[in-house]
Amino acid sequence: MATASSTWTPVEARSWRDTLKITRTGIFSVFFILIGLWILLSAPQNIAGDASTLLTFDRTGQQGISVPTVPFAVVVALLYVAGGIVGLLSTPRLSRIKFIWLLVNGLLIIPTVLIIIAAGGRTNIVVMLQESLRLATPIVLGALAGIWCERSGVVNIAIEGMMLTGAALGFVSYTLLLQSGLGLSNEWAQFLAVIIAVLSGGLMAVLHAWLSITFKTNQIVSGTVINILAIGLTSYLRLEVLVNAEAARATLQTVQIPLLKDIPVMGDVFFTGKPIFYGMFMLLLVTHVVLYYTRWGLRTRAVGENPHAADTLGVNVQRNRWINVIIGGLIAGLAGAWFSLETSGAFDDQMTAGRGFIALAAMIFGKWTPIGAFGGGLLFGFSDALGQRFQFLGVPVPPQFLQMVPYFVTLVVLAGLIGKSSAPKADGIPYEKS
Amino acid sequence: MKKQGFLIFLIAALLVLAVVPALAQDSLIESVCLVTDVGKVNDGTFNQFAYEGMLAAVEDFGLDSTYIETQAQTDYDTNLNRCIEEGYDAIVTVGFLLADATRAKAAERPDVYFIGVDQFVGEDADGNPAPSNYVGLQFREDQAGFLAGVLAAQLTESGIVGGVYGIDIPPVIKYRNGFEQGAKFINPDIKTLGVYIDSFTAPDRGASAAGQFIGEGADVIFGAGGPTGSGAITRAAQDGALVIGVDQDEFLTTFGNGETPGAENLISSALKRVDVAVYTAIEALVNGGEDFPGGTNLIMSAENDGVGFAEPHLAADKVSEEVIAKMEEVLAGLKDGSIVTGVDPVTGELLPEEES
Repeated sequence: MATASSTWTPVEARSWRDTLKITRTGIFSVFFILIGLWILLSAPQNIAGDASTLLTFDRTGQQGISVPTVPFAVVVALLYVAGGIVGLLSTPRLSRIKFIWLLVNGLLIIPTVLIIIAAGGRTNIVVMLQESLRLATPIVLGALAGIWCERSGVVNIAIEGMMLTGAALGFVSYTLLLQSGLGLSNEWAQFLAVIIAVLSGGLMAVLHAWLSITFKTNQIVSGTVINILAIGLTSYLRLEVLVNAEAARATLQTVQIPLLKDIPVMGDVFFTGKPIFYGMFMLLLVTHVVLYYTRWGLRTRAVGENPHAADTLGVNVQRNRWINVIIGGLIAGLAGAWFSLETSGAFDDQMTAGRGFIALAAMIFGKWTPIGAFGGGLLFGFSDALGQRFQFLGVPVPPQFLQMVPYFVTLVVLAGLIGKSSAPKADGIPYEKS
Repeated sequence: MKKQGFLIFLIAALLVLAVVPALAQDSLIESVCLVTDVGKVNDGTFNQFAYEGMLAAVEDFGLDSTYIETQAQTDYDTNLNRCIEEGYDAIVTVGFLLADATRAKAAERPDVYFIGVDQFVGEDADGNPAPSNYVGLQFREDQAGFLAGVLAAQLTESGIVGGVYGIDIPPVIKYRNGFEQGAKFINPDIKTLGVYIDSFTAPDRGASAAGQFIGEGADVIFGAGGPTGSGAITRAAQDGALVIGVDQDEFLTTFGNGETPGAENLISSALKRVDVAVYTAIEALVNGGEDFPGGTNLIMSAENDGVGFAEPHLAADKVSEEVIAKMEEVLAGLKDGSIVTGVDPVTGELLPEEES
């Protein structure tokens, strides 16, 4: 090693991309030229010339604007081709324009695809955005839970189990509170149930912390144990309590934010929703601020990157990890409450259906940052809604493939847009004082 | 001595001759044992309906009965053995997941009758026929879906109806294609939206699909896919759309006897009468087994009241007499075969258009 490093000379990091002068901009430019040409050649043939697409914006799809399909497709296609050609020019002066043009092209993909598919019919873009955000809510919350844990160096694959526990205990306690004869109103019972869901997620996290921090069990094993435990525990609770209880499927009330709700489109998408939906935005903000602008956040990141150094500087590593893991569990519990109390008004076995794991993917996608994780969650929610929309707009592709859309989009985006994402250095390694 | 022996033989022979024809008409069974899938006999799912069907038969035919509630999937075989050891003549197993255990046990014990709810009985992968003491109960979900489609098409104002479905396995495909065919039977120009969701246990995703349908202008939503479908119709009902449930009368389950907000929008449910099916199969055994299609399936359809539709309950003011009359008419048509769904009863795929 020593001899090797003494004679070491810097070698330029060259990949095959550099040799061929293939840049990311170049790849996208070629992509857009191809797509543009394809639309130009196929759209006028496959769509009736006088067909138009009705884009609707209100909740029940009554009013909207009519877009002539073929002319719109041709304009977009020309924009794609022109943007692609400009993108291939290597004039540095144009780099800003290039970037903006390609970005516009990228943003136009989804509306264009929808308008073409819904030719002769109609499609509601606002509702689709709304549903994307709803579907993203538990994923973003789960990803935030993961960030709290992993930024302090504890891998948490038990988010799924914590969510499931929160969903079950929240709904069970809601049912019991209503039946208890305490005379609680529905709203109070729901509020208390959400609190219990959050706490039960935290309780599962205590188990995780106890096993993986105090006893230094392998964190993957500990997480797996919790996931399995949660499945058994929750289905037992359902059989014992819920099956014979005549529980109403009431869900949390929709809240509209005054004034802001009247902004067109934005008002429907962002300012009309249920409490946990808003809670997701608040926790996103809180996580971001705490992680990057507070002493606690700095210490957490230090513990996750280099616990020995942090310890030397007087940070109590074990305590920091314990607290962060529990905070993560509380957030996962809230995500669980979203499933049972906010959306379904019921608890069904394994109703989280793998969203805890998707949340982990969203967290990695976002490079362990809250804002990035939000983007990742949104991408999953959006792709899910898009896959559904493709199905009912009648894209001639078997539904199994359309159900793959979320995962396919993730692959493409991870491989093409996001660079290498690296975990906190000490992630997954139990801390041993040396 | 020889004479006496002969006499005994004669009497015995006479007895056998007397008993054999009597056996052909008399009940093949005196007792029934029911094994649930993981769950309980009062859990509001198939387990409960199968149990109720068995109880009705037990009462009508004066049989002995018991049930075993399965705690874990690994206990199927143990529970079947318990039924046999305690001397029960017929065993009802509830659910698709028990198919393998039931089939194996049926081959092992030809002296006991087996009835498998939602289990398809036929040749195995090697072409061996199924044991003749084993019958599967299959349902014409397409007919139930067809009736739901007839109802939806009559009540929609926008001319757009939506269906949220679970994983695209044959029963679900049958519901979907039946529903869409039924809607087109009433109004050939109706627009039917449909989504398969790759999970039966994702009520939130079902709800989101329903939300998208409402955004597209759909005003009647059919949910067929376990909790995923129930999630869809609860959400849609709370958002003011009319909804149709599936399998059982969801007014009693999902809508908590009217407690759940939106219960006034549940106009019906496409029914799959598991209780009737179990009753029919036991009845066939009691009547000497001529109607017990051993080694194959008992197909439950409109003809034998195996499928149907539920009453509108709190939505009675939204479903007029004429609408119900039309559904009764279609049900009668399905019964006598004058109306066909155009759906393959096994795969659920649409049949090619026929000249009829």
